[in-house]
Amino acid sequence: MVTASRPLERATIRDSIARFEHFGPLLALVLLVALMSVLSTAFLNIQNISNILQQSSVNLILGLGMTVVIISAGIDLSVGSVLSLAGSVMALMAIAWGVNPFVGILGGIVVGTGIGMLNGFIISSTGIPDFIMTLGMLSAAKGLALVLTRGLPVPNLPPAMVFFGSQLFDTIPVAPFVALAMVVLVWYLLNFSMLGRVAYAIGGNREAVKASGISVGTYKVLIYGLMGFCVSIAALVQVGRIYSANALMGEGLELQAIAVVIIGGTNLFGGEGGVGGTVLGALIMGVISDGLNLLDVSAFWQTFFVGALIVLIVVLDRMRRR
Amino acid sequence: MSNDKPLLEVQHVSKSFPGVHALKDLTLDVTPGEVHALVGENGAGKSTFLKILGGDQSPDSGTILFKGLDLTRSGGRHFNYNTHVARRLGIAMVYQQPALVPDLSVAENIFLGRYSYKPGGTQIDWKDTRRRARDLVDQYGIDLDVTSKIKTLGAGQQQLVEILRAVSRKVKLLLLDEPTSALSSEQVDILFNDVLGRMLKENVSIVYISHRLEEVFRIAGRVTVLRDGAKVATERIEDVDENEVIRMMVGRRIEEYYVKHPVPIAEPLLRVEGLRAHGLIADCSFEVRKGEILGVAGLVGAGRTEMAKAIVGLHRKDQGKIIVEGEEKRIDSPRDALTAGLVYLAENRTESLVHCLDIAKNITLARLKEVFRAGLMLNRNKESAIAEDFVNRMHIEATGVGQVVRQLSGGNQQKVALSRLIYCDAKVFILDEPTRGIDVGAKVEVYNLMYRLLRDGKAIVLISSELPEIVSLSDRVIVAYKGRIVAEYAGQEISQENIIQSATGRRSTHGHSVSAT
Repeated sequence: MVTASRPLERATIRDSIARFEHFGPLLALVLLVALMSVLSTAFLNIQNISNILQQSSVNLILGLGMTVVIISAGIDLSVGSVLSLAGSVMALMAIAWGVNPFVGILGGIVVGTGIGMLNGFIISSTGIPDFIMTLGMLSAAKGLALVLTRGLPVPNLPPAMVFFGSQLFDTIPVAPFVALAMVVLVWYLLNFSMLGRVAYAIGGNREAVKASGISVGTYKVLIYGLMGFCVSIAALVQVGRIYSANALMGEGLELQAIAVVIIGGTNLFGGEGGVGGTVLGALIMGVISDGLNLLDVSAFWQTFFVGALIVLIVVLDRMRRR
Repeated sequence: MSNDKPLLEVQHVSKSFPGVHALKDLTLDVTPGEVHALVGENGAGKSTFLKILGGDQSPDSGTILFKGLDLTRSGGRHFNYNTHVARRLGIAMVYQQPALVPDLSVAENIFLGRYSYKPGGTQIDWKDTRRRARDLVDQYGIDLDVTSKIKTLGAGQQQLVEILRAVSRKVKLLLLDEPTSALSSEQVDILFNDVLGRMLKENVSIVYISHRLEEVFRIAGRVTVLRDGAKVATERIEDVDENEVIRMMVGRRIEEYYVKHPVPIAEPLLRVEGLRAHGLIADCSFEVRKGEILGVAGLVGAGRTEMAKAIVGLHRKDQGKIIVEGEEKRIDSPRDALTAGLVYLAENRTESLVHCLDIAKNITLARLKEVFRAGLMLNRNKESAIAEDFVNRMHIEATGVGQVVRQLSGGNQQKVALSRLIYCDAKVFILDEPTRGIDVGAKVEVYNLMYRLLRDGKAIVLISSELPEIVSLSDRVIVAYKGRIVAEYAGQEISQENIIQSATGRRSTHGHSVSAT
């Protein structure tokens, strides 16, 4: 098939380990699970594991959109606030306006996706850095959510709206299945659609994409739109988990979302990475936070560990790529 | 002068980069107070050599003795020569591109890191720093306000500041890489008469790289000619003339390994009329016909790349018509260019390829709709088949179409970049330095590929700084000088001598394209 190849470097075991992109995160997950099983008898039981899956779902769904954004060498800092806004819009439409809950859900999805597309549009049409645009949107979306809800929680949501964060027969959480569906969707888009292909190419070399006659701006809008859609779905799950919506429900989630992507091995500078790593990243985060709970470590320390972990992962990644 | 013990002795220095042998067994010496010029074509190894002397890069082998001290690794186990050590030894390097801080003043830049301090040594004495800068500027008779910010200065003035910064230290050896490319003729006079003249009186030695031979003959004592990384000769300047030096520079002939096959030349495919762009391209007009290679020669900075980028919509055009097959086309973006049938191979491979993606994905990038049905369904088999076809046809050496482009050699990367253009099914190929930095074998393959394109009824605009390449491949040659096309040669007139004369602004033909309006 292919003509005279140059002599290949002899593949050693170390090379093939290095080539298996998910080796690091997978090893980390296995070690963490093993460590936790030893440290706490409560860790390895069905109830706890279903907890972990439930709690990882929001991070994972956000992380999926963030994976595509980061692969295209972008970053979205607004996802926490936009989640609050989309969730608040859903809840308000159902409670304050009294519309059908499914219409309310659709409204939230339109708002979340629309804000994502707006991010992409302003970034590509004005040329301001992704970081600045989404930092501004972080504050703007939070402000809007506070205005709409008047800073008050919106409780007593209809059952259809809380379904996706609830438990079937009071035992089986629905959220992990939503997350799974989203994993399949984003995995497909990333690997089999032009959106995914162009995302990788923009992250690898934006100039080459432009020179190939592809409108980078259009794809930025689509990529951030997909991010916004993921945020909306995550909002739906989160609303169901807390049985209400409020303007601060997504606070800090942007950091979690970025963390699961980076832990999963996606290159922070674009061009390389994928959905598989992000799934592992979300599970690692889930096990760590669940484990710290079981070990009675304060939630304040958990926040500290997340920050330290992000920095550590990026440092390790840099050293590996040298 | 020649009886003096050399200040610098370079012996058998070699240096290679992946795929390129940049310097081969170079030996030369520089005596105190001498201007030693280095000349050669682009890629001959001049800049690499200067970077080695300046401590920017280290040679693979050979020794470099500066005042008897060996600057290479062989000189001592614990000795690590770098730019910092170079400065302390009195070796100053001036790069082609000034490395100044745009938001700081002239004085701040010249004495960056060496400011005067007030008594006590903690507070910078700006007044005294400015005074020292003013003294320096006055000393060399340069008209320059030392308090103006660098970004407000022209390119020539910036270059002078860069040179002043180098000479403000105690210098014994000054390394100049094309210092005059941004200077006006008055500024060149200041540099030569006042700055360099004064340095020579102080017995400073100068290694001088320039494309402008008249400068070499004006100030150099000796000249060393490099070709393909190896020394052709070192001559005393009074023993040679310009033509001899040019002959030594070019020497090699591509005909030795490339035979031009005649292809019938037919109707014009691309006409460019009155193109202005970028503040640099002034009134460029030319045409290229089916089956023809139009060579575009010129020095680095003559505006050839900017011209090409303006044509394909990568740069904005201020004025000018692009006519493809007799029809005027509006080209504002690379997409418009593709639709019109124009493709451009960037000068720099890092610009044209996505290095983290594999061969197949790079080849199909400009026509993704062919392999994604409705944009949503990738046809992997089709993509692989397309890529495999190119890998075979173009002799791309790889483990498979799934190999990441970053892992390929320069020549193979270039073939992948060319494959993408060919897959676009264009009519006119604008190739910017298509063989830069690739080895001879790959070059010949690129030439043969260009021939196949011609046979298929395409037209090629070949931008190249390698004169032998331009001369032996082109059916016609246009020469750019300072953003204008100053000459056109065809048939027997296409010679390296003619082109060099025009590219250095010493000759233009019949004003055909210079002043049409």
